[in-house]
Amino acid sequence: MAPPRTYTQFRVQPPRLWDPVVRLTHWGIAVAVLVNAVMTEGGSLWHVSLGWAAMALLLLRLVWGLLGPQEARFSAFPPNPVAAVRHVRELMVGKAGHYPSHNPAGAMMVYAFWITLAAVIVSGLILTAGDTPMQIAADKAAVASGDWSVLIDEGEGEASGNDETAFRHTNEEVHEVAANLLLLLAALHVTGVFIENRVMRRNLLAPMLLGPSDRRR
Amino acid sequence: MTPGRDIARSGRRQTAALAVFLVVQSLGTVFFIGDVIGDLREDPTSVYFIFEALVTAALVLGILFGAVALRRTIDLLRAQGAALDVARGALSEVIDRQFRDWALTPAERDVGFLALKGLDVAEIAALRGAAQGTVRAQLTRIYSKAGVSGRAQFAAFFVEDLLGQGVPPAS
Repeated sequence: MAPPRTYTQFRVQPPRLWDPVVRLTHWGIAVAVLVNAVMTEGGSLWHVSLGWAAMALLLLRLVWGLLGPQEARFSAFPPNPVAAVRHVRELMVGKAGHYPSHNPAGAMMVYAFWITLAAVIVSGLILTAGDTPMQIAADKAAVASGDWSVLIDEGEGEASGNDETAFRHTNEEVHEVAANLLLLLAALHVTGVFIENRVMRRNLLAPMLLGPSDRRR
Repeated sequence: MTPGRDIARSGRRQTAALAVFLVVQSLGTVFFIGDVIGDLREDPTSVYFIFEALVTAALVLGILFGAVALRRTIDLLRAQGAALDVARGALSEVIDRQFRDWALTPAERDVGFLALKGLDVAEIAALRGAAQGTVRAQLTRIYSKAGVSGRAQFAAFFVEDLLGQGVPPAS
């Protein structure tokens, strides 16, 4: 089988430092996901705001995947499960190749993470009926001031049958499961970085932070 | 070399600032888009909605142009860095060739390089683990092989090529 375009063993180095957009979106999403998973309460203003922020960062990263520099573009890390499995197998025998962008296993992780994050965001939007954090804040203020009418759903009544309740329930389930999957993927991602670090002696963390130490000064 | 590092550092600061701006812009725009969609469901013909939609479209365009501008800056910085590396590599190649022409021994070549980098005798001796007297003797041999009077002329030999224009004749 012909090796994929991105696979070269000669003189191809992964980025020494990811560009600032990649780094900012990466850490921004990491913080938003972690904080929303463990600290904020579902449906609270903070939770929804962070969800929207994560959506903005994800969208920016996707735009950057089309407009950004070479190694940040989708074309630099096409999803290729076969290459991903091969990379993991090579890693186990301690001689994995270099790639100009994410390695194939990392690329699969990236896409899996984005899809799962999108699922969390979309189900979250459905849960809040697409209300922006501003609207939610306004509704909360209205309830606090004694106007409970905002709590009444427009669709409530005879029209909303069992179907809608079932859909809402499923959606809530999706939000929950996808969020947990997201945390699982994040843990897997950290493990992958750790293994690459140990087995191949490649520091994948520095390029995502401030770059190699010899260039920082 | 310091100038190269300074360029790289200011370039990094510039791209980082642009990226932060892009992120902030995206955060703001996404809320605007949400609001526009909310209004779209209520009354798509209201003047308020139309204005808001226009503003939001402008914001989105701003993000796209910002992203393209940032990409260009990043590419430019990389090209400059690469050019600098090439220039550096080219200069050291020129020096190396000249050293061979002068038939310097490997030890003399090393000492010559260090001297060109601006290290003094004590530093060169410490780096090479040699006595200062040895280094001084090597430098003297280098100067005589090169046919220069001393350290200043030795360094000037290579700088002269880089300056690219002759000394104006005294009239």
